[in-house]
Amino acid sequence: MISGHAFLARLAPVLACLGLLAVWQAAALALNNDSFPTALEAIRAIPSILGDKDALINILASLRRMVVGFGIAVTVSIPLGLSMGRSRAVASFFNPLLMVIYPVPKAALMPIIMLWLGVGDLSKTLVIFLGVSLPVIYHSFEGAKAVEEKMLWSSAAMGLSAAQRLVRIVLPAALPEILTGCRTGLVLALITMITSEMIARQSGAGNILFNALDMGEYDIVYAMVIIVGAMGIGLDALFESVRARLVRWSEPQFDIPLSFS
Amino acid sequence: MKAAPSRSDVKVDLAPAPKPATAMIEVDHVSQVFQTSTRKDHLALSDVSLTIDDGAFVSILGPSGCGKSTLLYIVGGFVRPSQGSARMKGRAITGPGPDRGPVFQEFALFPWKSVLGNVMYGPRQQGVKYAEAEAQSRALIEMVGLKGFENFYPKELSGGMKQRVALARTLAYHPEVLLMDEPFGALDAHTRTRLQNDLLNIWERDRKTVLFVTHSVEEAVFLSDKVAMMTRSPGRIRQVVDIDLPRPRRRTELLLDPRYQKYVVDIERMFDDSGENEIEP
Repeated sequence: MISGHAFLARLAPVLACLGLLAVWQAAALALNNDSFPTALEAIRAIPSILGDKDALINILASLRRMVVGFGIAVTVSIPLGLSMGRSRAVASFFNPLLMVIYPVPKAALMPIIMLWLGVGDLSKTLVIFLGVSLPVIYHSFEGAKAVEEKMLWSSAAMGLSAAQRLVRIVLPAALPEILTGCRTGLVLALITMITSEMIARQSGAGNILFNALDMGEYDIVYAMVIIVGAMGIGLDALFESVRARLVRWSEPQFDIPLSFS
Repeated sequence: MKAAPSRSDVKVDLAPAPKPATAMIEVDHVSQVFQTSTRKDHLALSDVSLTIDDGAFVSILGPSGCGKSTLLYIVGGFVRPSQGSARMKGRAITGPGPDRGPVFQEFALFPWKSVLGNVMYGPRQQGVKYAEAEAQSRALIEMVGLKGFENFYPKELSGGMKQRVALARTLAYHPEVLLMDEPFGALDAHTRTRLQNDLLNIWERDRKTVLFVTHSVEEAVFLSDKVAMMTRSPGRIRQVVDIDLPRPRRRTELLLDPRYQKYVVDIERMFDDSGENEIEP
């Protein structure tokens, strides 16, 4: 049986969403501006987008680039970050490099990348890769650095080599921190995905959004914002449920849910 | 009339008779220099030599910061000495190995593994088959008093229980020497006493060689065959005291035993004389 409090806690996110839509609806009605459709108008435009085959292909292409970029970034960044966290030499080699890349908005590199690699999938995936890499490297690095020395010694006494310790001790011990980085990386992947399509207009969810803006179809613009936002929330919730399962051993007993999962 | 005794029975029967002393661990003129955060050299250990006989329970007793843990880390192969060398069975120690099993004050359990997973880790690494490793580990978990907690994660256990798991995890891969680094230092007095009793009971079954680091005089005298007293800055071994008390030892009997009391008082006095008074009574 769910108690009243628990039920309210479950319902809270839904109420927050409804509240936001209500404020939007009221504001749009009060302003009565062509470029600011009401929430209802925007929601009504959603089925027309999702029902359109071209639009759907575009959105799925965006998702594919995002998944590929995110996947490659995670595959490269976790081993790199962990090695940096355990080896001073590796850290001092890569640190200056990352310090230079860190503050640069990855979308700002898009024009240069387009110049070299064109406006196709490769450029966009590369930008997503760059956007995701840094938080994942950073959190893997911090996680690896924080691994208890005595835990590594204990495993060394059991006969684990340095390479085995990195994979079988440092990786699982740092996993909660790594996954925190991946979660940030996932949101950044969505952001860089949309911005890359804004700059290299050719296909994708961002392309639909900005084309609609050019054409003055503001209900489509807002509907796309809702769709992209829902994608973000859905992916985050999916990731969070996987994450929670992987690191149940490290979670405190009581946790405030930070997502809609 | 009893049947022919098994090998372990023979061992127990013979235990009171003194074994011919063979050196298991030899620490030979070891010095250790650390660089402090202000880049000054700090001499943590100065010309320390110590021999630990096979099957002996030897404690290193000293105030905090005297380098007693460092000495244990050197024997474990976790730290390279600046000078001198450590040997096990005559062979130079160059790194950690499954012949020397550490138990740390910080427990250092693998938090992503259950109690059973932690205890099985060593045997599995040594190539023991899963079913066999599991059976052995379950028996060990029962021996340290944690039957029923096999599937718990470390975060769900109290400090005393964690240290029991750590002990079982180390015993599981059959090290010849146990290296215990203030293992009960982080526990409350009651838990500490119980773990001391249990450790002695477990140890008296197979009499592994133990190097035990502590800052508690009572703990050292209660557990050990020999107590190596260390002084601070730089860490030196001041004296090695033989603790000639009968085994098996029962805590309640020992506390009333004048010989035990005399050892404790004598050792405390020696620390007092040297101004090393930050030692626990």
